[in-house]
Amino acid sequence: MVLNIIVPLVAGIAIGYFLRKRKHLDLGKVTIGAIVLLIFSMGFSIGSNNELLQSMPNIGFDAVAMVALALFFSVIFLKAFRKVVNLN
Amino acid sequence: MIKYILVTLGFGTLAGYLNNNYAKVIDNNWVSSYLFDFSLILLLFVMGFMFAADEKAVAKLKKAGLKILGVPFSIALGSIMGGLVGGLLLGINVVGSMAVTAGFGWYTLAGPLVGQLFGANFGALGFVVNFLRELLTIVTIPLTAKIDNYTPVALGGATTMDTTLPVIVRYCGSETLITAFSSGFILSIVAPFTITAIAGIPK
Repeated sequence: MVLNIIVPLVAGIAIGYFLRKRKHLDLGKVTIGAIVLLIFSMGFSIGSNNELLQSMPNIGFDAVAMVALALFFSVIFLKAFRKVVNLN
Repeated sequence: MIKYILVTLGFGTLAGYLNNNYAKVIDNNWVSSYLFDFSLILLLFVMGFMFAADEKAVAKLKKAGLKILGVPFSIALGSIMGGLVGGLLLGINVVGSMAVTAGFGWYTLAGPLVGQLFGANFGALGFVVNFLRELLTIVTIPLTAKIDNYTPVALGGATTMDTTLPVIVRYCGSETLITAFSSGFILSIVAPFTITAIAGIPK
């Protein structure tokens, strides 16, 4: 976790800070390309995991209902918190 | 963009399925670990870079200050509430269903840990529920980012420190980097403790 998450993020912040005066860097294309690779490899992990694919039909409904509720309440609670502390 | 995300995901899933079950063209690990890590590391670096180079984003973070630390706790409470209501509606053990949603989207943790504490059925549910959370978050970011910058962060739970972070930042802007990362980071740290603590509630 430290090596593949914290190190690249902190390195990016440090280097970005030193180069902040140069305004000509456009990394939009790199980002899109890397996002496509990331999502492709996520899909690949799903497709190559037979256990996961097999358990989907059995517990699919319960799982979808629980995810929907967890997401719903997460959004509502966060909205309420932001209203209370005035965070925009 | 949501179209591209879904098509890429579908194409990846099909490729993974075919490769695993029919033609062993490449080792599964090569894509699931190496390509995944490579793209994630590259993205995190680029996102960090763009954040630090964006003076407006840094200023905005300074203004929000310590308030952003309340964000993950609201998301944690909301997630557990979802598990509670879900358990009641579906007629399954409420303590177990709260432990499942307390994975906050971290399925590689929630699957085994909930399984160990509540048995294999809950383990499978813990895995799939949290896996779907990550999946739904990432495919809906182009839509939820239109509501506001915090909605994708709320949906992503613990995943906003890694897999969903680059996509959130791409759609919500650099100013969301620290909010999303710190929220995902805190939720990832508290998830194992929360699941274990919930398991201590008498059933």
